[in-house]
Amino acid sequence: MFRMDRRLLSNVDWPLLGAAFAIILLGVVCLSSLGLGRGGTGLAWRQLMWVGVGVVALLGVVTFDYRSFVRAAPGLYLLGVGLLVTVFVVGRAVSGARRWIHFGPLTFQPSELFKLIFILTLAWALTWRREAQQTPRGAFGWIILLVAVPFVLVVRQPDLGTALVLLPVLGAVLVGVGVRLRILGALVATGLALMPLAWLTLKPYQRERLFVYLDPFRDPLGTAYNVIQAKIAIGSGQLLGKGISGATQSRLAFLPERHTDFIFAVFAETWGFVGCLVLILAYGVLIVRGFEIAVGTREARGRIIALGVTALFAAQTLINLGMVTGLLPVVGIPLPLMSYGGSSMVVSFMALGLLLSVRMRQFQ
Amino acid sequence: MDLTGESTARREAWRRRVLSLAAAVGVAFVGLVGQLWYLQVLEGVKLQELSERNRIRIRPVAAPRGILFDRNGLALVDNRPAFTLSLIPREMEDRDTVLARLSVLLKLPMRELEEALVRVPPDSFRPVRVRRGLTLEEVTKVEERKLELPGVVVEVEPQRVYPTSTFAAHLLGYVREVSDEQMKQGRYRRGDMIGQSGLERLLDEHLRGRDGGERIEVDALGRPVQVMRREEPDPGAQVITTVDRRIQEAAERAMAGRSGAVVVMDPRNGDVLAMTSSPAFALDRLTGNLEKEEWLKVVRDPLTPLMNRALQSQYAPGSVFKVVVAAAGLQEGSLTPMDRTYCNGEFHLGKWTFKDWKKGGHGHVDTRSAIVNSCNIFFYQSGLKVGPAAIARYARAFGLGSPTGVDLGGEKPGLVPFLDGRRRGDGRSWQSGDTVNMSIGQGRLLVTPMQVARMMSAVANGGVLWRPRLVQRVERVDGTLAYSSSSKMTGRVDLSPVVWAFLRHALSGVVNEGGTGAAARIPGVEIAGKTGTAQSVAKSDSAKGQDHAWFASFAPAHDAEVVVVVFVERGGKGGQVAAPIARQIYQAIFLEKVAMVSLGGDG
Repeated sequence: MFRMDRRLLSNVDWPLLGAAFAIILLGVVCLSSLGLGRGGTGLAWRQLMWVGVGVVALLGVVTFDYRSFVRAAPGLYLLGVGLLVTVFVVGRAVSGARRWIHFGPLTFQPSELFKLIFILTLAWALTWRREAQQTPRGAFGWIILLVAVPFVLVVRQPDLGTALVLLPVLGAVLVGVGVRLRILGALVATGLALMPLAWLTLKPYQRERLFVYLDPFRDPLGTAYNVIQAKIAIGSGQLLGKGISGATQSRLAFLPERHTDFIFAVFAETWGFVGCLVLILAYGVLIVRGFEIAVGTREARGRIIALGVTALFAAQTLINLGMVTGLLPVVGIPLPLMSYGGSSMVVSFMALGLLLSVRMRQFQ
Repeated sequence: MDLTGESTARREAWRRRVLSLAAAVGVAFVGLVGQLWYLQVLEGVKLQELSERNRIRIRPVAAPRGILFDRNGLALVDNRPAFTLSLIPREMEDRDTVLARLSVLLKLPMRELEEALVRVPPDSFRPVRVRRGLTLEEVTKVEERKLELPGVVVEVEPQRVYPTSTFAAHLLGYVREVSDEQMKQGRYRRGDMIGQSGLERLLDEHLRGRDGGERIEVDALGRPVQVMRREEPDPGAQVITTVDRRIQEAAERAMAGRSGAVVVMDPRNGDVLAMTSSPAFALDRLTGNLEKEEWLKVVRDPLTPLMNRALQSQYAPGSVFKVVVAAAGLQEGSLTPMDRTYCNGEFHLGKWTFKDWKKGGHGHVDTRSAIVNSCNIFFYQSGLKVGPAAIARYARAFGLGSPTGVDLGGEKPGLVPFLDGRRRGDGRSWQSGDTVNMSIGQGRLLVTPMQVARMMSAVANGGVLWRPRLVQRVERVDGTLAYSSSSKMTGRVDLSPVVWAFLRHALSGVVNEGGTGAAARIPGVEIAGKTGTAQSVAKSDSAKGQDHAWFASFAPAHDAEVVVVVFVERGGKGGQVAAPIARQIYQAIFLEKVAMVSLGGDG
């Protein structure tokens, strides 16, 4: 298992990696143009450092057969839930939310890591009953429970963004394994029925954001201000963008999250519509390759992992871009491989590692 | 190869489902590109103009902080407009020159100005507050040179103003700009003024209100073009406390120049009418711009002015504790009002000799006169009769050894040392000598003035322990209630009515029959009380004034309306130091009655 087969190397998915690194490159250039952080380009360098850590993590993940991860999934799941609980005990609050655990100077966001554990758990839960390539019936009660516990924990942190990403991943995987539409419909209906309940658990600032989505001028000094400014930034980039030196809108202090969740607004102002198309193309290649890997895999667990990881990338990308362009309400979701942030970057690399691992062992 | 015999049909089904998911994602991406096309190409020119021509500046408008009132509607603290000097980083073309000019003009340290700007991006439009509470003279100076000082603005903001600089300092607490540490909680914006101690901190959420703001359209040079939208600030809610400003002032006057604490409580409901701790810190000094040296001076002051002695100082209660011993003995039957003893000033236990505070002793004493004259010898004997377990049980029943639950935080719990027959609480075995010490409130027994006030309230009202209440209610500006609290009973001491009557009668004797508390006597008001003198170091020479003085009292003795507890650190004897202070406070409380009696006396 630890020995890398030569045959495995020949199956490395270069278009996938190429697209990922193209996105990272665009992101780092964007970060360095912001001149944020101590010493001007500090953020970009730190981001590159995280990329380095991410590559190591990716290699680590690829070395193992993904099936060993699936076997370890119950343990990982308990560990992940444990970490989410730990956040409440020792986590430090930033901007009113307890999402981070601190190790000396480093901070770590368990909910990021949990996204992967979630996918592995799904793969395990949907296949453990039989070794056959079939979905067991009646496993859904199980799965609902497995989903509900961490979901509630993440929402309570509060990290609505991460929680919302888990849902499309779950949906995609369930559709993929061929859950009958009737059951899916019932699940969605239950979800909708629980919405009022969810509303009660939302923090005031989260409710405010939803209101702002409906009426941007409700709070022109707060959240909506972000949305308005992001729209102006994106729009003023026009067809070809203003270039790094001309992107005044982004360099002004109008966008508080401009190096993390709102980085796309900066990118769009700098490079314009054409630049955006290139970036979206890169995400497109990455996601299409993910789906292709899912289609080409015959082994049940590998399929679910590939589909889950791809759905994760697609959901994060779409929700983030939708939010920044004003199509969706503002929820805190980073743009994968582009937003500044260590946990997000490393976890994205681990996700790529899982995808590669499945692809490399596709024909075993 | 491990195909597990999957049929072609299944594989085809999987392929179909994955592809339909991919198609859904594709549709979403197309929608996204559509939105980008709309924003960047269709609306692009318009938004481009917006970003070029119209830059929006936000100017926060601070909400006036809520006002704290006393129980009669008198303000304990108020607001007044004050001038704040701010810098707008974006508009300071030549930052160093502007800062240098400003530094010379207002004699501000350059370092302070630079530090204020370090934390914000250099292109921010948000004004950064540099100094609050500018004098009119300073404002004029800045306004006169406005053209030479681009990016320097003077804004008018509400600021706290106090009746006197130290008035109810520990109770109210000070207000100060949010610190870097507090910013990390994420609840505040930079420059917010928040309560840092006392009620200001406890009720900060209510008092703070909600800042408003102005959205100002500025041109490319940063000059305001027009106010686009103004959102009025919501003023903070008003707080109606239980404090009586008149009594609070009297208590502070009476304690002037001393270290210690006073608690005045209504024994009928636990309302705190006054709470002082002295020395107090100067509220207005801590509020504004504070030099580091000045802050350190306050923090390192050996008299610890920041400490709220009413809740946080723990000292032996001294003879005040005899009330508990007497209550325990009388109720348990180990002591009767008829018990007598001869006091020659000395008490022998094994090889130890315990002395009375009065040389030569009190002669023949009974239970009542032992309380009135605070005879130690009688209580040494009684303590051994009652036993440490019963004493400790009653002490705890009277609320000693546990926090009172008063609204303000940081309260100390005190200590009732006796755990069980063998241990003192510190691991060493309990000796008869410890019982003897405890009977007169010495040894390792520790109480806070607030606990003593709660205990005396129980004596006054027949056994009810109230949670001390400081805040009656918080009212929003529109008159709706944001918070209210009612009196809450937290415990009950069950003694027979005869015992209560005896205790009150004896305590009245302390003041009115030439007992140790005679210095508190006021004609026309029957005050009942108990003096206490806590040795700061065991067996120290009390003549040196190293003892802590207590006077715990209530009035009128048989239908108490008010409890007054006075504690003076290193003051000397309770009867000589604390009782006269209590007298001054009672005079203020029963102003009308006292005046009537003295008028009657004159006539």
